Amino acid sequence: MTNVLITHADEPLGLRVVKTLFPDPRVERIVAAGAGPAPRAFDRFLAGSPPRMSYLRVDLAKHRPVADLFHSAHFREAEIDTVVHVPSHGPGAGAPARRSVMPLVSGVPPRTAEARLVLQHALDARSVDSLVVIGSAFVYRLAPGNANRVSEESELNLDPDLPGEIRSWIDCDMIFHAEVGSDRARVVLLRVPTVVASGGFVYLNPALAGPGGPRVRPLGFDPLCAVVADKDVALAVQAAVHGKTSGVYNVAGAEHLPLSVLGRWTRRPTVPVPASVLRAAAFAARVLRQPELRSSVEGPHLRYGFTLDTRRVQRDLGFRPTHRVGLGRAGDGRLQLETSPA
Amino acid sequence: MSTPLGPAVPSGPLYLDGVREDIVAPATGARTALGTDPFETVVTIDPFLERLDSLHGGGVVPRRSRRERPEPHEPPIEAPPPVTRLREATAPPKRARRAWATTPRLGEVELDAADGMLERLIGEGERRRLAAVGHLVDGDAPYDRYGLSPGTLRAAFPFFHALYRFYFRVKSHGHEHLPAEGPAILAANHGGLLPFDGAMGILDVLLHTDPPRLARAIVDRWAGRLPWVNVFYARVGQVVGTRENFSDLLEDGQLVLVFPEGVEGIRKPVTQRYRLQRFHVGFVEQSLRSGAPIVPMAFLGTDDQAPILFDVKPLARRLGLPAFPITPTFPWLGPLGLLPYPVSYRIVYGEPLTFHERFGPEGADDARLVRYLANQVRRTVQLLVDRHR
Repeated sequence: MTNVLITHADEPLGLRVVKTLFPDPRVERIVAAGAGPAPRAFDRFLAGSPPRMSYLRVDLAKHRPVADLFHSAHFREAEIDTVVHVPSHGPGAGAPARRSVMPLVSGVPPRTAEARLVLQHALDARSVDSLVVIGSAFVYRLAPGNANRVSEESELNLDPDLPGEIRSWIDCDMIFHAEVGSDRARVVLLRVPTVVASGGFVYLNPALAGPGGPRVRPLGFDPLCAVVADKDVALAVQAAVHGKTSGVYNVAGAEHLPLSVLGRWTRRPTVPVPASVLRAAAFAARVLRQPELRSSVEGPHLRYGFTLDTRRVQRDLGFRPTHRVGLGRAGDGRLQLETSPA
Repeated sequence: MSTPLGPAVPSGPLYLDGVREDIVAPATGARTALGTDPFETVVTIDPFLERLDSLHGGGVVPRRSRRERPEPHEPPIEAPPPVTRLREATAPPKRARRAWATTPRLGEVELDAADGMLERLIGEGERRRLAAVGHLVDGDAPYDRYGLSPGTLRAAFPFFHALYRFYFRVKSHGHEHLPAEGPAILAANHGGLLPFDGAMGILDVLLHTDPPRLARAIVDRWAGRLPWVNVFYARVGQVVGTRENFSDLLEDGQLVLVFPEGVEGIRKPVTQRYRLQRFHVGFVEQSLRSGAPIVPMAFLGTDDQAPILFDVKPLARRLGLPAFPITPTFPWLGPLGLLPYPVSYRIVYGEPLTFHERFGPEGADDARLVRYLANQVRRTVQLLVDRHR
């Protein structure tokens, strides 16, 4: 039996992971942590006596609250042996933060600070023997081209001029990747591409994440995007929680869509704009110190696409995508992206 | 000694690793026949293979640096254990045969009624071939993992088919050398400024195979930076040449078309026409690793479609282009001057070269061997070109 701590359980991906792990008979206790109040979807999980799940409000980007979480009575009594870290994918999580007095999290984006703190405390906690982390597949260096196949061995993009959103994902990736061979805990890093959910929701794509509405893309470019259903991400986490191996794994679904089609299906239509205009906008964003604007108009992900080689996760963790991504008609008659079991 | 692939070679130094290389320089003022490379490195295959056999019983020579080469007075080196045993020790575990991405035979394709204007432009046989290629895309997904869109392919087909039949009047032979299934690498000569040879080659393979096979051409990274071009290439099945893309295509059992000369082939001046430039070696590595045969392929007519008088390299560098050619029509007629002349194409396929059977995947780690084999492929393609000109 496994007892699991899930971070950012109040965000959509964390919520999906909780919903998948709760009915799993091999999971005995779940401690969910999130920055906001407990989602209403957790009401039925938190009921029961004794409850199999508890929820704690924690600011994971700050040292003291994270230390309190890992030394709390909830954590101790639940005898947590597995930590599932779902990095924050909300807006602003990748933007540089104001300076902090703590050197570990000073001046780094909240997502990176959280990664450092969760890793440090998970490795220090004696009961924890597994750490499963969701990372982004937008960390790879992309060769020019509409589609590139990338494997876990492919090179990361260490260009210092990358937009902050992607930069923070790379920082998180490297923080956890460094501990993959650690003796203290089994570390599994799952690199997922654009995550989509029924209803046309989209996460982790630097160009499309966030609220609906039009986006820009360079004229003449329409990169191919690998997509994966949120339910498949949760199933991959479940496989990693019960797996025996540590390592880095690409997780992706069977479908691949051009950015323009993906944007249309998720109600975020992409408007082609001449590259010179985008360059000027990126320059203005840099001068005005608007990192979010810069992320939305600049970056290799707007020109070059990629798809993921997932043979390793199939071989080691036995994970295969079970959901297809397609177009469905919503209640109001509009066509939108839907996921359904294959 | 006469070699199966080349002319007789004067005796010369035999290096320790068995490769004999003699630089045959042309006599001063002598004219060489078109199609032969005056500075060609002539490598004989027989002593090399004999040496391999004597050392290993038929296998790969371990790489040795110059510093490691023994002095003449040193005792002879001991032969390493036979490669057969080495291969057994290092061979990956045998696995079940992979399910390759295949297309159905023409007789098995169910054809819808021709309802669009584009579909009425082409015959039923061609429509059947395009429908078969659509099976490369998994399930109901509109694109495959490299961005191939059967819809775009169908839309582009009539235009390129018209070029194939009426403009370039392509004639081809040697189709029996194209494998019906499984991975293979088509290695061809490149020429003609704009890569119409790639398009005609892909079309020729598609029209002369059953089940129909869509060759996936490896394109230069430079093309991936071009607006619209990068999208069009992807939608019709072309792939940017990264190692991962290449190996994944072969792993998937696809037919991969490469132009190992790269951009050097398309920017060579008219004085070098039909003389193959130095080959890149990545395709040989991939062939050895994946066990895919190399099918030599020769294009005739491509070097006449846009004769380059000069290549203004400084200007090309300045503009970020692979070449800035001066031809009889470019830049005088503007972009129209880049269009190819209506030359007649001939495509010839040679017998497959199965280096992987002799050298195995471990041969890909030997840089000298890989370079040597790439030269052999180059010579084979050059011979095809010379014989059929």
